[in-house]
Amino acid sequence: MDTKRRTFLKSTAMAAAASMVASSTSLPVLQADQGVADLPVIDGLSWNKAPCRFCGTGCHVQVGVENGRVVAIAGDKAADVNKGLLCVKGYHVGGILYGKDRLTKPLLRKGDKLVEIEWDEAIEIIAKRIFDSPKTFAFYGSGQWTIPEGFAAQKFMKGGLGNNHIDPNARLCMSSAVTGFLATYGVDEPAGCYQDLDECDVLITWGNNPAEMHPVLFSRVTDRRSRGETVRIIDIGTRRTRTTDAATDYLEMNPHGDVAVSLGIMHLLIANDNYDKSFVEKHCNFRGAEADTPTLQGEAISEEEFRKRIAKYTPEHVEELSGVPAEKIRMLGELFGNHDIRITSLWCMGMNQHTMGTAINSLVHGVHLLSGHFGRPGDAPTSLTGQPSACGTVREVGTLAHALPGGRVVTKPEHRQHCEEFWNLRAGSINEVPGYHTVQMFEHFTKPTAQGGDITTMLVQVTNPGQTLPNLHALFNSKKGLEDKFLIVSEVYPTATTQLADLILPAALWVEKNGMFGNSERRTQQWFKMVDPPGEARDDCWMTIAIAHKLFEMGHEGMKDKNGEFIFAIKDSDGKEMPIWQFEHYYDTNVDKHLFEEYRLFSTMKHKNLAPYDEYVKARGLRWPVVEQDDGSWRETRYRFSEFDDPFVTKGQEFEFYHSSSNDGRAQIWFHEYAPPPEMPDKDYPMWLCTGRVLEHWHTGTLTRRLSPLNRAMPTAYVEMNSEDAKAANIRQGEKVVIESRRGTCELPVWIDGRGRPPRGTVFVPFFDETKLINNCTLETHDPFSKQPDYKKCAVRVVKKAQLKVPS
Amino acid sequence: MNRVATVLLCCVMTMAVVGFFVGIGDGVPKPDGISPSNLNSLPPSDIFPSNPRLLPALSYSEMASSAMGPTKAWQATRQSLPQTEYDLYTKIEPSEAQKVASSRLRASRRAYNGAPPIIPHPVENTNDAACYACHSGGVKLEGLKASVMSHAYLANCVQCHAPMAPAPFQSIDATVETTFVGLPAPKEGQRAFPGAPPTIPHSRWMRENCNACHGGPHGWAGMESTHPWRTNCVQCHAPSATLDQMPESEVVPMLPPLDVVTAKVGAGTPQ
Repeated sequence: MDTKRRTFLKSTAMAAAASMVASSTSLPVLQADQGVADLPVIDGLSWNKAPCRFCGTGCHVQVGVENGRVVAIAGDKAADVNKGLLCVKGYHVGGILYGKDRLTKPLLRKGDKLVEIEWDEAIEIIAKRIFDSPKTFAFYGSGQWTIPEGFAAQKFMKGGLGNNHIDPNARLCMSSAVTGFLATYGVDEPAGCYQDLDECDVLITWGNNPAEMHPVLFSRVTDRRSRGETVRIIDIGTRRTRTTDAATDYLEMNPHGDVAVSLGIMHLLIANDNYDKSFVEKHCNFRGAEADTPTLQGEAISEEEFRKRIAKYTPEHVEELSGVPAEKIRMLGELFGNHDIRITSLWCMGMNQHTMGTAINSLVHGVHLLSGHFGRPGDAPTSLTGQPSACGTVREVGTLAHALPGGRVVTKPEHRQHCEEFWNLRAGSINEVPGYHTVQMFEHFTKPTAQGGDITTMLVQVTNPGQTLPNLHALFNSKKGLEDKFLIVSEVYPTATTQLADLILPAALWVEKNGMFGNSERRTQQWFKMVDPPGEARDDCWMTIAIAHKLFEMGHEGMKDKNGEFIFAIKDSDGKEMPIWQFEHYYDTNVDKHLFEEYRLFSTMKHKNLAPYDEYVKARGLRWPVVEQDDGSWRETRYRFSEFDDPFVTKGQEFEFYHSSSNDGRAQIWFHEYAPPPEMPDKDYPMWLCTGRVLEHWHTGTLTRRLSPLNRAMPTAYVEMNSEDAKAANIRQGEKVVIESRRGTCELPVWIDGRGRPPRGTVFVPFFDETKLINNCTLETHDPFSKQPDYKKCAVRVVKKAQLKVPS
Repeated sequence: MNRVATVLLCCVMTMAVVGFFVGIGDGVPKPDGISPSNLNSLPPSDIFPSNPRLLPALSYSEMASSAMGPTKAWQATRQSLPQTEYDLYTKIEPSEAQKVASSRLRASRRAYNGAPPIIPHPVENTNDAACYACHSGGVKLEGLKASVMSHAYLANCVQCHAPMAPAPFQSIDATVETTFVGLPAPKEGQRAFPGAPPTIPHSRWMRENCNACHGGPHGWAGMESTHPWRTNCVQCHAPSATLDQMPESEVVPMLPPLDVVTAKVGAGTPQ
């Protein structure tokens, strides 16, 4: 801008408005100079794309930056996911950077005080602990890790340290979805995409409340009604929610009722003989669990055997088990038997946080396969995720205790060999024994070393286990007072986890760093750093590389590749190694791009092909497999396994499950026997407790509780009670009560018939509030295959506080 | 004969009229003090400063001498329900102070310019029809204004608009300490010359209905159009391609300049 313009701006006292209009950058323009240290200096407001920081929907926002600060957010109209709309969290995402209590300096616990230390010292402390005892170190990560952050952590642990004790919080959130996909299709992640929501005639929400948890996707469906289309929404749940308000049918089930309902539908499809015979004959096999030691692969069973096993799940029997009336089960059976309509199923935590998580995921896939409601736009079993990169970083990069990048596992020698080759490591660098999954990892961390607790140092990045683990007293709080256990937490704000941390590392957040996420519909997204992090906050990816380099300097053999070079070495055009482990040089190059190009090599084995980094810079995300065309362009895939869209399906097959676990291109229709939940209400603990979320807050509220409009809308966690239960217990609106389970207690105000309306005998508590930790009460019992705990059901009682506090 | 008939007819009509008015009365004498009620003149209660709408309870002995009946707010609301016709041609001349107060109130409900406004009242029923009842056309009551939706009907209103705290939790202090400073609302568009129609200084996305702020009976004071009878706003006021997220282009594409051969200065006339 020239001086003349500046004078004009000043003289008219409309700087904000005019500079927006006159700014030479337009909203969708991408940063021209990729990945350099600083954004180009623009007088006034500049706009740039980024995926939203919150849930797994993967909306794109336009971030308005002025004078090095985020000042505005707009829905990105060019984004296919959200088409210019956002939800109330997304609209206020810019404010997450500016809470007053941002952590800006490394803090070391000395006695009961935290003292500020320098980064060099912090990195040295960590490296020394790892160097002294590399096998007792664990890395606890997150579905909020960016893809390069997860990939670096993965390479550092499994490649560098030969240590598989790396697991993410996503273990608590979608690992049952993974095992469901693996058991059914032999390969992870949904076949369909969000377009199914535009095309379905019937939407079934299985223990799912997308009106609050994935609002952009849900209103994508309900907005169709406003346009005059007819969409039938069937809500199967354990309590009435905002989704129920929009639903055509509400089917209230008992906890674990979903297992019975899905078995009931399959029973009817067989009994009424209206299942899709040609689809099943050409593309499916039947599977059941082994009698002695059930595995994820199960054993093949004949169609006859399947019919025999499912025969007892008549609508009447299902009504007994699930509480859903038999005539409603018949209604569902008829719907699925009708091939002229398109049915999409949606689920998230209700089916995943389930001690039969793998089973119910497989069964719902089975309902869609058996009825042939699969693979046409609008006909899809769709599993949603709750974190922005649970798919991208956890499921694809494989930051789980048993996994390696690109759908590989540590137990297969050829998979380990691939990785060692891609990473140029010595043969045998990768350990073949799976590490500890989340619950085990924390059990071993909180158990005294003398008693066999063999995790002594833990590094936590981008997550808050002090609030999200089940049964917190057992799995987290018991760390307190254990002298030889060392907890390192990289965070942006003080949390329940930092309260017990021995070393706190201040982290850069969202657009304070470069990043890539992968959303629920296989869409890989990219963004550039737009503002500087506050104080000495630094990128999580840099932390991992700096620790690795310190170990390299100390002579740790694992930090050297076959040629003796640093495993994260990046060289400039002259072949000279760039010192990216020094933060002032970290942005001399785009480290994300280097890591992503290395990671891309891993993606083709399971046909999850990724495009080069620069293609993602241009796009609002691309859904894998992304395949190069003859003209050099890159094409994304909306529908996997369907010949009309998936380039890997053999021509003429119509459908092909090319990673089938039976090696014959077929998907598996599973049979699982119904089993009751592990803990049910009884005389002492007569109520069901269900935990979950609310629209305004995201997960542990670390970010959203620092946003004024959101915190004002939902200032506290609460316990939702049925009015009859409240009346019977003489409990009044707003009264504080104590929720007690066998494991712990939590004090909460009561909201009778609140946001959701639980049936008699059920209470619901959202877990976002760090001052009211409902996970003191929850159960750590988990699914046998996915190791994911069940946060949705355990037995509690509601106790009135003896001293009633009069509300002021 | 005629005369008798006329008298009789008069009597019948008089009786009918008297009967009608007696008939429509409920026969119950009006209690004293229902209107005008001295409740209306009560100052806002300072017994409950947190909620001036609360009135102190009376003892039985006080009751006989106390006025009972609708409070001022209740009456005012009720009385003004039939809304006056909006006169398109009323001259709009808000004072500078009015403009400032109005935009301050507007800004207090948004984290930054372009953010969906928060809902400044409790929401008991989140059914969209409940929102639409007032916000489709807008309502103005004494001390209360339901603004008109600036965008087309979209399902799930609370997806974007954060409500106030739920009723049982309204006394909880939800103060948040933040250093976030939102983008301020633009004051005015650019004019090419004095008197030229100003450009639109904000995005039109989600603000398709200009009248929601700039006109009609429910616009924002100080933002109202001086010529609300004109209906096609963008006929004169140019929107911004940048702010409307139109396809990107650094330079406006133009055809190449004409290839004009200029005669050399001083060159002689053709031989």
